[in-house]
Amino acid sequence: MRVVHLPFAAALLVLSALTGAFVVVQRAGAQVAHPTASSGTLTEQDFHRILPTGAAQAATGTGPHAGAMPASALTTEDFRRMLPRTDMRTDTDATGHAPVHAFLANGPATPFDSAPIAKNPLAPDAVAVGAKTCIACHALENVHASHSLHLAAFRAGAAGTGPDAACETCHGRGSAHAKDPTGPGLIIAFTRDAKTPIETQTGVCLSCHKGGARQDWIGSVHQERGLACTDCHNPMARLSAEGVLANNSINQVCSTCHQDIRDKFNRRSHMPLPEGQISCADCHNPHGTLTADLIKTDTVNETCYTCHAEKRGPFLFEHAPVRENCLTCHDPHGSNQQALLVLPVPMLCQQCHTMTLHPNDLQTIAGLATGQAPDERLIGRACLSCHTNIHGSNNPSGSRFHK
Amino acid sequence: MCKALIAPLAVAIAACLASAAALADSSDSARVGDIQYGNALDPTGWAPLLWPDPRGFSWLHAGMMRTPSGVLYPYPPQRDDQGSPLYKDSDWVYGGFLQAGWLHLSGDTRAEFFRQYAGWKSGIALGLLALYADNPKTGQYVEFRGSRLSGDDQYYRLRAGQYGNYKIEAFWRVIPHDVTTDAYPLWNGVGSTNLTLPAPLVPGGSTPAQVAAVEKTRPRQTIGLTRRRAGLSFEDKLWGNWIGYVSVVNEKRTGTRLWGGSMFFNYVLPDNGGILETVRPIDFSTTDIGMGLRNVGNVWQFQLTYTGSFFRNHKDRLDFQSPFQLSNVAGVPQVANIYQGQFSLEPDNDYHNLRLELSRDLKWNGHLSVAAAWGTMRQNDALLPPVTCTGTGGVFISPSANYTFDCADWNTTAALSQKTADARIDTGLFDVKAVFHPTPKFGWHAGIRWYREDNKTNYLAFNPLTGQYGYISENGSQGSVVPGEVGIFDPRNPLYWSYVTQVRAIPFGYTDSILDTGIDWRVSEADTLNLSWSFDRNQPKYRERKLVNEQRIKLAWVDRALGKGTLRFSYEFAHRDGGPYNYDPYQPFYSTALPGFVTPPLGNAAFTTDAMRKYDLSNRIEHKLRAIVIYPIGDTATISGVVYATRDNYGAALGRQATRNRGVSLAWDWQPSPATSMSANLGRDDSRLQFSNVNDFENLLGQAGRDNPAFGGPLYPFANQWADDDRERDYNAGLTLRHDFGRVRADLGYTYTYALGKLGYVFASPGALSTTQQPFVATVGNGFPDNHYHINTLQLGFDLAFTRTLGMRVFDIFETGNFADWHYLGLQNSLVIDHKVYTDLGPHPHYRANLLGMMLNLKL
Repeated sequence: MRVVHLPFAAALLVLSALTGAFVVVQRAGAQVAHPTASSGTLTEQDFHRILPTGAAQAATGTGPHAGAMPASALTTEDFRRMLPRTDMRTDTDATGHAPVHAFLANGPATPFDSAPIAKNPLAPDAVAVGAKTCIACHALENVHASHSLHLAAFRAGAAGTGPDAACETCHGRGSAHAKDPTGPGLIIAFTRDAKTPIETQTGVCLSCHKGGARQDWIGSVHQERGLACTDCHNPMARLSAEGVLANNSINQVCSTCHQDIRDKFNRRSHMPLPEGQISCADCHNPHGTLTADLIKTDTVNETCYTCHAEKRGPFLFEHAPVRENCLTCHDPHGSNQQALLVLPVPMLCQQCHTMTLHPNDLQTIAGLATGQAPDERLIGRACLSCHTNIHGSNNPSGSRFHK
Repeated sequence: MCKALIAPLAVAIAACLASAAALADSSDSARVGDIQYGNALDPTGWAPLLWPDPRGFSWLHAGMMRTPSGVLYPYPPQRDDQGSPLYKDSDWVYGGFLQAGWLHLSGDTRAEFFRQYAGWKSGIALGLLALYADNPKTGQYVEFRGSRLSGDDQYYRLRAGQYGNYKIEAFWRVIPHDVTTDAYPLWNGVGSTNLTLPAPLVPGGSTPAQVAAVEKTRPRQTIGLTRRRAGLSFEDKLWGNWIGYVSVVNEKRTGTRLWGGSMFFNYVLPDNGGILETVRPIDFSTTDIGMGLRNVGNVWQFQLTYTGSFFRNHKDRLDFQSPFQLSNVAGVPQVANIYQGQFSLEPDNDYHNLRLELSRDLKWNGHLSVAAAWGTMRQNDALLPPVTCTGTGGVFISPSANYTFDCADWNTTAALSQKTADARIDTGLFDVKAVFHPTPKFGWHAGIRWYREDNKTNYLAFNPLTGQYGYISENGSQGSVVPGEVGIFDPRNPLYWSYVTQVRAIPFGYTDSILDTGIDWRVSEADTLNLSWSFDRNQPKYRERKLVNEQRIKLAWVDRALGKGTLRFSYEFAHRDGGPYNYDPYQPFYSTALPGFVTPPLGNAAFTTDAMRKYDLSNRIEHKLRAIVIYPIGDTATISGVVYATRDNYGAALGRQATRNRGVSLAWDWQPSPATSMSANLGRDDSRLQFSNVNDFENLLGQAGRDNPAFGGPLYPFANQWADDDRERDYNAGLTLRHDFGRVRADLGYTYTYALGKLGYVFASPGALSTTQQPFVATVGNGFPDNHYHINTLQLGFDLAFTRTLGMRVFDIFETGNFADWHYLGLQNSLVIDHKVYTDLGPHPHYRANLLGMMLNLKL
């Protein structure tokens, strides 16, 4: 991605401050930059009007000047003067201590009122600037983020606590970034070119989302492989119906890396994942579990029983591999055999069953329905034609699963 | 107009929620099931609202940002910058979207693969109804979305709450699953517990020709089921950092599934026995309850969860009639009055699981987590009688060789040692894990996991009416064809005192202990290495091995310096071995272990060969390799790919010997502007599985040496060894293209799937084959006909915008399929082959189906 273009940013800030493009909404004693058209979010027309032609083109990626102006073109003092007045209530607030509002006298309105402000180790001396300052540049981001439930939560929190409880809750105190927008790591960022370490990024998210479904994140395979929360989530836009995902569905997010698993779901027998009825996250918790494969329950079988409760039993007569692990015979991600089996029947069974008499015969094409000696051990459901209750039988005569 | 309708609805929803204060949701991604709501028309459940905003994401830069791994985020969707006030001066704002219209199906619309999980139906359909309202001031929100393709395929979901405070979810959904659409059940009463033969067929008295004639008149049916699920859940911040949740989900599952029905072999006994592909009813209801309490502090995290599941099967049996006569192969010729068959279907069961998890942050940037869980699954259903026959079964040879049995002694529950199953399995889990990162460059972790499954079921197959042990095999058919093979052991009767039969339930269980440890080393800013080792000690009960050990070493490398890309590479090596292998561990549960068992002079026939190794317990050496690459191309495209390979070698002369799997998948995503996006993917997967087996020398069973289990011995000679080699190759491809022309938006999608399966066999001599197939050994070749599964799906759609709020979507989905599976080969000619009756013709060999849709889009 391209970094913020200073000429554009500077001009935007100056003009927005001068023209009073932002309207500070007074609510319950707090000053909040509210994402309404009248609150000062710049429109595209504003954007083109206030910028020199070249800068506008650069900003939209259409001109030759993209990223042309070095950071040294403006001084810190320039930025200090150009930034709009912070919507923090007092200078004292800007030190980062959330102000206590009368609104909160009887306790916070939402838990997000007391959301901690992320600490940026790469800008330890930065102070809060408030959402108004952020939105001065990130106007369109604000629009999109406003459609995300996640951001709406912070905005609600900011309504009670103060403007630093919005953007800076996740991105850290913004003064250093505001003074030097291209300075590496001066704001906590969550994208590819961010200088913020993955651990810091993850720590920001976990500061609120610790515990619960994330209780086993540390030490999980995704954590060990260096995944960041924003590899799978994007709280800055509503790209999915639920889950604040980085793509349009859970399955699309997972298949970014697990393409082979996505392909297996295209096989003849599969669970209804391509049809949108289930998702990877129905069985796996990508945030970590007590199992290596991120299965949500204590065992594979318990996950399977969640939908296939009839297989849980226990039965009077059990089939050992069935009781121990469904994956002995089934591939839950898809199979070219019936019923997710890992081999065609009867061959699946003959891997183990070489018992005396009928189980251990080699089956050939002679045993097909078109063959010279049609054999029920091969045709249709093969072994399962007789050993039908293969998942276990509750019949007193069912020890061989015939009944 | 629409707003006028929607506003009161939203108010009503909000009012309901306000009155339902403390309700909330179970913990999102920790919950199993019902995470995803979509359907075949729109797998995302949100597609109409995903067209990108032409303005892009930011005024500050063109294009989209990338994830930390390098994948481009999609452009954010176009939405109104703000919602509409719910009413004048309201703090609530709302919005919504409605897509509804008409679907028209044509072609082979009953093709199984076209509608496997899609309830397509011509007629009115609801593509999506989405309503959302929130109060920016209070953080309260309400969301609803629903879709309906047909009565069998629909969902409705409501979410509401206040951010970080409480949540409520409610849903109702119907999910279809067609198992086959080409079924011709012979019986009346499909879907019930009693399958009866249609006239003029006579139970136990019809010839194959008569059955075939009737079979041809049977109507085509679809075998499948429907899941109707409803759920309600609440999550609430109780006090301080304590959060509680409770959820209830109920599912009603109804329909049918293909099933079996055995009245003894037919392949080796022409014009005898009975192999019946029946249809069983599905009539389940399951209620799942989840409750939890968690506390998330700065240092400690606590979580207590309870999961309960209560399954009820409203049809606990399947009775069926066999049309065929049974006749004995020795003794006085007679026709047994055995034609009734019965299955016990799955019993009701209850499940409880209580789990406690405790985590604590430690110094050295450490983290300790401890978890313990206890669970139990139980059922105590009433048992059915061993048989349903009446009269006399079995074979009479002479007064001293009278192998008959009186059904009245077995067709009552008085013939059981206990009237109910009293089956129970308890589980226990203990897991402790510690992770330390004393420096940013170095980390260490270690963990122990212990899990036990303790099966407490104890059933003795003893008939107090007769004093005999065992059961009546295959509805009485086996003993009515082969003298003495009734299935019973009787220490008082020389006819049965040497009979080997199972007399006790085997309470399989296991204890699994895993120790693992590893280190993380950040070699540079861009490279991280991870090395871990684990030791898995599994102690199964009543299995061929009492101890199975597996050690696994895993090396992982994450590199972010591959140009602009990210590489995640891992390699695993695992070695599994264990204790001595007992090829017949089930002796304690068979009549051979009972007092009074008389070993015959020739010894008992060997249960199996001693060289067989069951692959879940056998020695194994495994190599696994996997590399995932994500590589940005310029500012607008990404190439990503996965390369993988797995190689397993099992230490078995007989049984599974080796598996191989390798594959590659590549994807290219391109989004040059918000108006245009394109993606393509290609994949290939090759897998191979080899196993070997040995046919026993059946002629030896009446001779000396029959008790010799040795591979290479007289009963299992090397000459009878054979091997199968299963190879599969899969190709996948996909293409999507979307472009926004302004008032018209177009989308194109194409998916291609081709799977080829080849199953070959080799054998040392004709003795490897079934005796029935040995005469044809010269013509059996070395493999089965290829299986294939070949699907092409093309989708083209246009979204037309009439006004800012009104538009239309016109789309077409065209699908072709080709399918072959030798299991069904020849059934098209007749579903009746001698005494075998089949129901399912299998999936359509060829099909073409089309779905045309016209939907009105209305922004609310």
